[in-house]
Amino acid sequence: MDAVQLLSGAFLLVGAFFFIAGTVGLIRLPDRFSRLHALTKADNVGLGFIVLGLMPLAPDLFYGLKLVLVWLLVVIAGATGAHLIAKRALRGDGEDVL
Amino acid sequence: MYRHSVSAHPWAALSRAGGFALVWVVLVGPDLVSWIIGGPFVIAATLASLRLSEPRDRTLSLPSLVGFVPYFLWESLRGGLDVAARVLIPRMRVDPGNRTYRLRLRSPEARLVFIDSISLLPGTLSADLRGDLVTVHALDVRTDVVEGLRVLERRVAALFGESLEPVGDRTTAESSTPARGLVSDPPTHPEGRQ
Repeated sequence: MDAVQLLSGAFLLVGAFFFIAGTVGLIRLPDRFSRLHALTKADNVGLGFIVLGLMPLAPDLFYGLKLVLVWLLVVIAGATGAHLIAKRALRGDGEDVL
Repeated sequence: MYRHSVSAHPWAALSRAGGFALVWVVLVGPDLVSWIIGGPFVIAATLASLRLSEPRDRTLSLPSLVGFVPYFLWESLRGGLDVAARVLIPRMRVDPGNRTYRLRLRSPEARLVFIDSISLLPGTLSADLRGDLVTVHALDVRTDVVEGLRVLERRVAALFGESLEPVGDRTTAESSTPARGLVSDPPTHPEGRQ
């Protein structure tokens, strides 16, 4: 195991930690707004570290670019989705499922 | 109607199609056969974007973007650590509540970047936007939410080359509350049905 793989593994573990923290937040936090906090931030940072960890293992530049693009799209979709869910919940004009 | 928007803004249509095609190539790889799927979707995405976002002159300040990226990444990391630290300890440190923030950004795209960034920064989540008022949900209302929002708003304004008007009298009048520019919880939606 060389240094690159070690570094890569470390980043992947950090990423996994943030996903676990996000899941714990989803379960423990008291209301749906607070749960959205945990989800958006943990997804953003967790996936960011996963992407960082996979980057050294990427076979070519194109692959690395794809990883960054995936992260960017997930971040935008996550933040926008969280805003829309919070807006619906706050205005109370959607179908209430909980 | 679609054809009209393409012929009215041929350069915008072309550059957007080029952008979407690039996204497709990066996601799928340089496989010619994939364009059976990719081609129609690039065209559909271009038409949709021309309809949803009218082409006009936008200025994105490149030096500000260079400054914004590390700021955004650093704040994201802080946001993730903050929420992890709050939920992982045995007695959670949360005191959720809503705050209202008066938005000074004007252009729709600057507002979009601001709204989305709020949710990724430590302790804040953009919950609603009505007119100029953003409802910000804070994981811990005891922290100073508004200072972070001001910094973010300044950064986004610089990004899009907007100048922010100084904080008006209406907001400074409420400076008896710890954070300037904040209206406290109840009147979240003056015009909304509660």
